[in-house]
Amino acid sequence: MDEMDELLQEDWLDARLRDEAPYIDDAGFTAAVVQKLPARAPRRSFRSVILFAITFVACLAAYLISDRGRFLIVAAERLAAMPFGYICAVALLCTVVITAVGASAAFFTANDRPLDGLVRLFR
Amino acid sequence: MPLTDADLVARVLVNDDHHAFAELVRNHQSAVRGLLRQLTRSDLALADDLAQETFLRAYKHIRTFRGEAKFSTWLYRIAYNCFREEARKRKEFVGIDEAQLEAEPDPQTVDPALKHDLMHALQLLPLHERTAIVLCCQNGLSHDEAARVLEIPLGTVKTNVLRGREKLKKLLAGWGPA
Repeated sequence: MDEMDELLQEDWLDARLRDEAPYIDDAGFTAAVVQKLPARAPRRSFRSVILFAITFVACLAAYLISDRGRFLIVAAERLAAMPFGYICAVALLCTVVITAVGASAAFFTANDRPLDGLVRLFR
Repeated sequence: MPLTDADLVARVLVNDDHHAFAELVRNHQSAVRGLLRQLTRSDLALADDLAQETFLRAYKHIRTFRGEAKFSTWLYRIAYNCFREEARKRKEFVGIDEAQLEAEPDPQTVDPALKHDLMHALQLLPLHERTAIVLCCQNGLSHDEAARVLEIPLGTVKTNVLRGREKLKKLLAGWGPA
């Protein structure tokens, strides 16, 4: 019986210790901590420089290899000779593809877990 | 779906995301400040200063968090270290020694009006027992986790919890189950 009492006492004490731990309201504490965080170190990214340089070199190479852009004139002439309906169909197809790619990029960016988002989408 | 601590820590690590860290602070501020209030015997200003220091240190050293323990356990350890350093500075920190044991209150002499006040009773316990009780019984850490937070042997944590409980029971005598 004494053991039973002891167990009851312990349960009661544990329950009170858990329940009576007061929740401390944030009251600006988080904001104060965040304000004191060190500023983010500026990221040195050469990605844009590299991409620009590669694009420039590729354009220059294409221009020189293709007889100083002769292929552009040829392509424009071919395009002008195409039937109007065909040009419209190609333009429409391009629009659909670009819209689909843009929409999916936006969808994946908006969802933290893209696979979960996909699963939800097809449920 | 709310992000887990692991997700938030990953965001801080990868993107240095202050918003993710703010979320971590929001999620754990109550427990950390509660622990420090108990350790500082309800010196609210000091407890909040130490809690701020705890989170700033956590941010600074977040790369050392390897996810082996819970994020909260890691935070408690930082909080306890902050408290210990501050107490050393103030020369108030005393280990388990005779002087402290003698200074423990006699349950018979405690103000009867306070006997139902568990939080107050908790503050009458010596530091090592109070800390063990708060970590294990209030914040739900296992004895093993508490031992890691306090950097003391597992057996010592168990003893401290047991002794602390016994004293609390005496201090709160008459308020238990009939």
